[in-house]
Amino acid sequence: MLPFRLPIAASLSLALLGGVSHTVIAKTYMSAEEAVQVIFPGKYFSKVTFEISGEIHQKLKKLSGIHHPLSPNQFWLAGDGSWVIIDEVVGKHEMITYALGIDAIGQIKDIHILQYNETYGHQVREKYWRTQFVGKNAQNNLRLNEDIQNISGATLSCKHVTDGVRRLMGLHALLLFKLNSHDPM
Amino acid sequence: MKSQKLHQKLLRSMVFGTACLGIMAQSISLVQAGEGNFGWIYGLDLQPQGKWEAEQRLQLTRGHAAGTYDYWQGRSELEYGLTSNIQLAGYLNTYAINSAKNYTNVDACASSVNPCTGGYGVSGIHNSDPSYSASGIDGVSLEAIWRITNPLTAPVGLGLYFEPTFGHLKDAVEARVIVQSNFLDDRLQLVGNLVLEAEKLKFDEEPIEEIVLDFVGGFSYRVAPNWSLGLEYRFHNDFDGFSFASQTQRAHFLGPNVHYAHQKFWVTLAMRTQLGGDCWSPGDAECSDGMVWDSHGRNEYMLKVGLPF
Repeated sequence: MLPFRLPIAASLSLALLGGVSHTVIAKTYMSAEEAVQVIFPGKYFSKVTFEISGEIHQKLKKLSGIHHPLSPNQFWLAGDGSWVIIDEVVGKHEMITYALGIDAIGQIKDIHILQYNETYGHQVREKYWRTQFVGKNAQNNLRLNEDIQNISGATLSCKHVTDGVRRLMGLHALLLFKLNSHDPM
Repeated sequence: MKSQKLHQKLLRSMVFGTACLGIMAQSISLVQAGEGNFGWIYGLDLQPQGKWEAEQRLQLTRGHAAGTYDYWQGRSELEYGLTSNIQLAGYLNTYAINSAKNYTNVDACASSVNPCTGGYGVSGIHNSDPSYSASGIDGVSLEAIWRITNPLTAPVGLGLYFEPTFGHLKDAVEARVIVQSNFLDDRLQLVGNLVLEAEKLKFDEEPIEEIVLDFVGGFSYRVAPNWSLGLEYRFHNDFDGFSFASQTQRAHFLGPNVHYAHQKFWVTLAMRTQLGGDCWSPGDAECSDGMVWDSHGRNEYMLKVGLPF
């Protein structure tokens, strides 16, 4: 008789658990273009690219604590100076992609989670949590458990999205606020 | 023959039980998870309140001074998030031992029988036999972890761990102080556990009482989405009786871990090798060649699978 039967059998039988759930959690909820129209319905935006200096990157890293680099190619600008920015932050297992809308006077218009691949923490997609950001500007204390309340069981996602928004609002105050036209930058 | 039937019956019971867990998992649409990036180190990633996870661990302790020593331990666990900072768990522990002529120390073996057969789980009365094999259900463990501060929101996460075990091979009470700090967008976890365990070993002719005082620590870094790599270390100390007056063992272990996590499951593979150890009386029979044997091997391997539901 094999002496190893019981532990191995226990492993194999529990392995059956992995194949029983047919639920597939949606990964992408909205495209960048859809997010632009959801946040600013009917407003015309065009994608813009520009350089972010090393000095500003350093300031943003200090402000947000985020090490993951900011993507330079995900900015949409409207004629009145409103912005929609697509950003990603580190999730528990993969990246969390979200869209932030900032109106012409520098207040957050809305935030939407575009892609979320995590096991838990889906509550950050809920309106009641996202609404906390609406109307805030770069002067607010956009930190978890300060101006933004945490969701128990979704702490990592809440923290990283909040840090990401603080970085984008810092970028808006340092640079985007001055880039309010489609003129060459 | 009777023993074989008993094992078959136990096997059927375990398969049935875990199949029932599978049906439960299927009936719940959103998966939830806390997960263990390490093989032997406990972190502070707990189940969210009201969420369950099934976890299976399979550990192999392999290799003594000579011959064969394989000690397999299976631990089937159910975790539950009682509150956002308290997690409870129950384990069903199983074991399998295959040991043959693995001890060479003259303090352990009679001069006429060297090497002899011994090690954790090997009954003392089998010492002179050429080999020893046994398997079965060892017993149960209960576990509670209280996260006092969360490393996601505090510079240092702090937690307390408590685990009583009632088994065929041993009864034990284990407590840990868990410390964890995260860096680099929480992709890098530094974790340390101070472990204190009082145990009564029951497989020998006379019960052996001892205290284990260990430090385990290491890091896990998410090198790519879903994948983490790390390293873990163990500083192990055994003391005779339920006091610290007489130390009997000391050993160091080091090894890597790899962790894969997905929405629906996670898997951790870890191994650690014994760097060296010492023994002192009255436990010096368990040492030779600058290594500690007993419940330890040259190498230890761990497979953990977590299935949140």
